[in-house]
Amino acid sequence: MSTEIHPLEIHDLTVAYHKRPVLYGIDLVVPRGSLIGIVGPNGAGKSTLIKTIMGQVPANSGWVKIFGKPFSKVVSRVGYVPQRESVDWDFPVNVMDVVLMGRYGRLGLMRRPTKEDKKIALACLEKVKMLPYANRQISNLSGGQQQRVFLARALAQESDLYFMDEPFAGVDAATESAIIEILHDLRKKGKTILVVHHDLPTARKYFDKLLLLNMRVVAFGPTEEVFTYDILQKTYGGRLTILSEVADAVGEVHPSSDQRE
Amino acid sequence: MNDFIPSFDFYTVFVEPWTVDADTNIWLLLMGFLVTTACGLIGKFIILRRLALVGDAISHSLLPGIAVAFILTSSRATFPMFIGAVIAGVVTTVLIEFIHRKSRVKPDAAIGIVFSTLFAIGVIIITVFADHVDLDADCVLYGEIAFVPFLDPVELGGMMLGPFPVVRMAIVLLILIGLILLFYKELLVTSFDPALAASLGIRNGVFHYGLMIVLSLVIVSSFESVGAILVIAMLIFPGATGSLLSDRLPVILWMVAGLSFLYALLGIHLAIWLNCSIAGAMVVIALLLFIFVWVFSPKKGLLQKWVRQRLEDPDSPSSTA
Amino acid sequence: MKTRWKSIEWMRGNCFGSVRLGLLLLIVLGVFGGLPEVQAAKIGEITETDWTDQAARFFTFKDPSVRYAVLGSIFLGVSCGLLGSFILVRKLALLGDTLSHAVLPGVALGFLWNMTKDPVAIFVGATIAGLLGTVTVNLIRDTTRIKEDSALGMVLAGFYGVGICLFTMIQNLPVGNKAGIDKYLFGQAAALSSGDVVLMGSVMLVACLLIFVFYKELLVTSFDSMFAVSLGISARFFHYLIMLLLAFSVVVALQAVGVVLVSAMLITPAATAYLLTDRLHRMLILAAIFGLLAGFLGSFFSFLGNNLPTGPFMVLGASSIFLAAFLLGPRYGIFPRWLKQFNRSRRIQIENTLKAFYQVREAEEFSKEGVTLSALARRRNESLREVEKRIGHLVRDGLASFDENQKGEVSLTEEGVVYLTPSGWQRACEIVRNHRLWELYLTNAAEYEADHVHDDAEMIEHILGEETVRLIERRLDFPTRDPHGKLIPSAIDMGEVDSNKVEGATGYFSNT
Repeated sequence: MSTEIHPLEIHDLTVAYHKRPVLYGIDLVVPRGSLIGIVGPNGAGKSTLIKTIMGQVPANSGWVKIFGKPFSKVVSRVGYVPQRESVDWDFPVNVMDVVLMGRYGRLGLMRRPTKEDKKIALACLEKVKMLPYANRQISNLSGGQQQRVFLARALAQESDLYFMDEPFAGVDAATESAIIEILHDLRKKGKTILVVHHDLPTARKYFDKLLLLNMRVVAFGPTEEVFTYDILQKTYGGRLTILSEVADAVGEVHPSSDQRE
Repeated sequence: MNDFIPSFDFYTVFVEPWTVDADTNIWLLLMGFLVTTACGLIGKFIILRRLALVGDAISHSLLPGIAVAFILTSSRATFPMFIGAVIAGVVTTVLIEFIHRKSRVKPDAAIGIVFSTLFAIGVIIITVFADHVDLDADCVLYGEIAFVPFLDPVELGGMMLGPFPVVRMAIVLLILIGLILLFYKELLVTSFDPALAASLGIRNGVFHYGLMIVLSLVIVSSFESVGAILVIAMLIFPGATGSLLSDRLPVILWMVAGLSFLYALLGIHLAIWLNCSIAGAMVVIALLLFIFVWVFSPKKGLLQKWVRQRLEDPDSPSSTA
Repeated sequence: MKTRWKSIEWMRGNCFGSVRLGLLLLIVLGVFGGLPEVQAAKIGEITETDWTDQAARFFTFKDPSVRYAVLGSIFLGVSCGLLGSFILVRKLALLGDTLSHAVLPGVALGFLWNMTKDPVAIFVGATIAGLLGTVTVNLIRDTTRIKEDSALGMVLAGFYGVGICLFTMIQNLPVGNKAGIDKYLFGQAAALSSGDVVLMGSVMLVACLLIFVFYKELLVTSFDSMFAVSLGISARFFHYLIMLLLAFSVVVALQAVGVVLVSAMLITPAATAYLLTDRLHRMLILAAIFGLLAGFLGSFFSFLGNNLPTGPFMVLGASSIFLAAFLLGPRYGIFPRWLKQFNRSRRIQIENTLKAFYQVREAEEFSKEGVTLSALARRRNESLREVEKRIGHLVRDGLASFDENQKGEVSLTEEGVVYLTPSGWQRACEIVRNHRLWELYLTNAAEYEADHVHDDAEMIEHILGEETVRLIERRLDFPTRDPHGKLIPSAIDMGEVDSNKVEGATGYFSNT
C-alpha cells in the first residue's frame, strides 16, 4: 500500500439507538502518535462513538478500520478504559486481579496469567502509583484510585491505540495530573489515545488535538485551531439543534421501547 | 396422550356449568373475580413502586405466620391468621432491610434469602403438624378454590349472604376500593415521586407500610383460593396487561376489574374442560390473555409495530443491522 | 463452630483451585457410582421409627437410598453454589428464582413424554422450559414498557401456573408410576434413583470443568462486560453459557430441593461466601462447600422425620450457615464489627479520662502527684459514680492506681486520690499532645479560627498515629504551645527522654 496505515479510520459511520440517530455520517482519520480529546455536549454521542468503534454497538452504515483492519482482527492492539461507573465496585476481586485482566487478551484459552504477566501488572501499578494497594479489595478505593486502577489495566494491555471514556470524571486533582502525565508519556512512545472529556477549559490544556462532536463531526484538528468561539458555538448550541429536533421527531414516529428508562 | 387432554365437548364445558352446577360455579366465579380484582388493584400500585418482587417475597413469607396462627388457635379464624400474616410480613421487610443495610449483600439477594427461609419454615411447620391439624399443605400452597362454595355460609339477619370466604373477600375488596378512592392522590404522588411527596408533607413511610399491611390482608384472604405462590400472578398480570392497553392509571384500574372477570370465567371453563386446578387455569388464562394483548394491542402490540415498520420504511436501518 | 472458622481461615491461606475440588468429588463419584444398584425401601415407606435409629441408619450409609440421597444432595449443593456465585456477582439473583419456577411445565411435559419419571426426558423438558422463561423475560423487557421486575414476576407465576395445571392433569391420569412427580415441588432426596444421581454428578462435573476452563473469561465478563468485549471476549456467549449451566443445575436440583426453593440453594450459599471473602475464586470454593453442607444437612434432617420434604430443610441449613457468617464472619460479620466498635469507644473513654487527669494536674500546676475523684468528676462533668467506674477501667488496664494509704482500703470516695502509672501518664501526655498539636495544625496550616478547632481535635486526638504526629511536629517546627497558649506535653514529660539532657525540662514530669 502506498499510503500510510492510520491507527483509526472511520468512513461515513451512522449509528441509531432504537431508530433514534445518535451519530450521523462520521468521517475521521486519526494520525499516529496523537492525544485527542473528544468533546461535545451531553448526548452528542461521544461514548457511543467509542463503543461503536470497538464493536459494542452495531453501526447502521459506514465502516471503521483500525490499523487498516476491522476491530476484531486487531483486538490486542487496542486498549480501553470504560467509565468508572460501569462496573460494580463491590465485586469480589482485588486491585491486582483487575490489572491482570488487561493481560487476558494476550492469554489463550485455559491459560492463567504467568509470572511475566504479573510483573507487567505490577510495573503498571507502579506507574500509576498504586503499587501499595495491589492486594486491596476494590471497594476500599477512592474514586481517583479506582480510575488509576483502570488506567493501570489499560497500560497492562500494552496496546498501540487507546480509548478512554471520561477518565477524569470525579477524580481528585492529584490523580488528574498523574493521568495526564501518563497520557503524555504514552504519546511520546508513539501511541495514539482518544479521550472522551467533558470539561472544556481543561480540554484545551490537556490535548493536542480535539474532536468536537455533536451527532456529527463539527471540527477535528489541532487544539489551537479548533478551539474557537465559532466552532464551540456550533458544537454546543446554535444550528445543530435543528438536527436534534429532527432526530426527536424521528424517534416519536417510532415510539419504541426506548421510552423506558 | 388421549387420556391427558380430554375431548372438548361444548355442552359440558360451557353450558352444563351454568345449568346443572350453577349453584357452585356462581360462587367460584364470584370468588375468582373478587380475589383477582383485589390482588390486581393493589398489585398495580405495587408494580408502580417497583416492588413486584417484594410482593412475591411477602406472599411466600406470610406462610409461617399463617401456619403458626393456625396451630395456636386450631382454627381458620380470619383475625389470628391476619395478625400472624402481618407479623410475618413486617418481619420480612425488616429482615430484608437489615441484611442489606448491615452487610454487603445486595437487596435482590437479601429478598431471596429471607423469603426462602421463611417459606421453608412455613412448609416444615405445616408438614410436621399436618397430621394434628386441619390445614392441608396443598391447599395453602396451590390453593383450592373448588372447596369455597361448600364452606360455612354466612347469614345476616336471616338472609343468606354466601360462603364465608366469599363474604370476607368481598369485604376486603370493598375496604381496598375505599382506601384507594380515599388516598388515590397520595398513593400516586408517593409512588411516582417520593421527593415531591415529602415536600408536600405526605409521609412516604406511612404509605409504604400501609400498602404492605393492606397487601398482607389481601394475600391472607386470597391464599386459600389461589395459594401462596400463584398470588403473585394475580398481583402482576392484570396491571401489566392493562398497561399494554392504556397509559392512564384510572383506565388501567378499570381494566383490572374487567380482566379479573375474564380470568375467573375463562379459568373455570378451562379447568372444567381439562379437569385441572382452577387457580392454575386462571393463571394460564392470565398468561394467554397477556400474550394476546402483547401481540395484538392496537397501540403498542408487536404486530402493530411490525406492520407499521414494514409500511413506513421497507429498508429501515434496523432491518439491515 | 470454632473449628469451622479455623478451616475457613485455612482455606483463605491455601486456595486450592476448583479443579482439585472437582477431582476429589470425581473420586467420590467413582466410589459411590460403582456400587450395585439395589432397589431399597424408600424413606417414605419406613413407618414410625425412632429418630435415633434413623440417624444411625443414615450415618452407616448401608441403605442405597441414603447413599443416593446424600450424594445427590452434595452434587446439587456444589453445582448450585458455583453457579449461584456467578449469578450473585452478575446481579441476576432474581432471574435465578424466575428460571427455577419456569421449569415446572417442562418437568410435567418431560414426564408426559413416556409417562415415567425418566430423568433424561424431564431434564430436557425442564431445561427448555427454563431457557424459554428467561428468553420471555428478555422479550417482554425489550418490546414493552413493562419493567424488568414485573416481567420476572409474570414469567415466574405464569409458567408456574401452567405447570400446576399440567400437574393436576397428570394426577387425574390412570397411570401407575406418577407417585414421584409431586416430589418436584418440595423435593424428596430419598426418592432419587441411581440415574438421577449420575445425571447430577455429570452436571456438577460439567459445571466444574467449564468454570475451570473459562474462569478468566467468566471473571472478566462478570466484572466488566464492556472491557471484556474490547478484549475480543464475547460477553453474550458467556452470559448464555452461564444461563445454560444455571438451567442445568436448577433442573437436576429439582427432585431433591423442589421447584419452589431451588433458588435459595443458588443464592444463599453464594451470598454466605460473598460475606467471607473478597476474591472470586475463593468465593466459588466457599459457595460450593456451603452448598454441599446445606445439601447434606437437608438430606439428613428430612431423613430423620417420616416423609418430610428435603427442600425446606436444605434451605434452612443454607440459611443457618448464612446467619452464622452474617453474625460472626471475621471481616464483615456483625459481632466482630460491634466488638471492634465497642473496643474503640471504650478506648476513647479511657483516653478521655486520662486527658482529664492531665488537665486537673495542669490546673494545679503539677503541684500534686495524685488527683482527687471529685476534681476528676468536676472536670469530666460526670457523677462521682461514673468517674469511679472509669477509674476502675483504668486500674484494670494497669494505667492507674489509687491511694490505699489514706483509708487502708481500696474503696473510692470523694476524697480518694488517684495516681497514674508511668504508662498511664505517658498515654495521658500523648493524648493531650495530640489534641493541642492538631489544634495548632488547624490554626496555623489550615487557617482555622482558634475557637473552631476544639471539637475536631476531640476526635482526631484518638486516631493520630506516632508517624503523623512527627510529621505535624516537623511541619510546625517543633512547637511548644497550642493556639490557646497552653504547653504541649513533650517527649520529656512522657518519660521517653532523660529530663536532665533536655533544655526546658520543667518539674512537671514526675516519676510516680
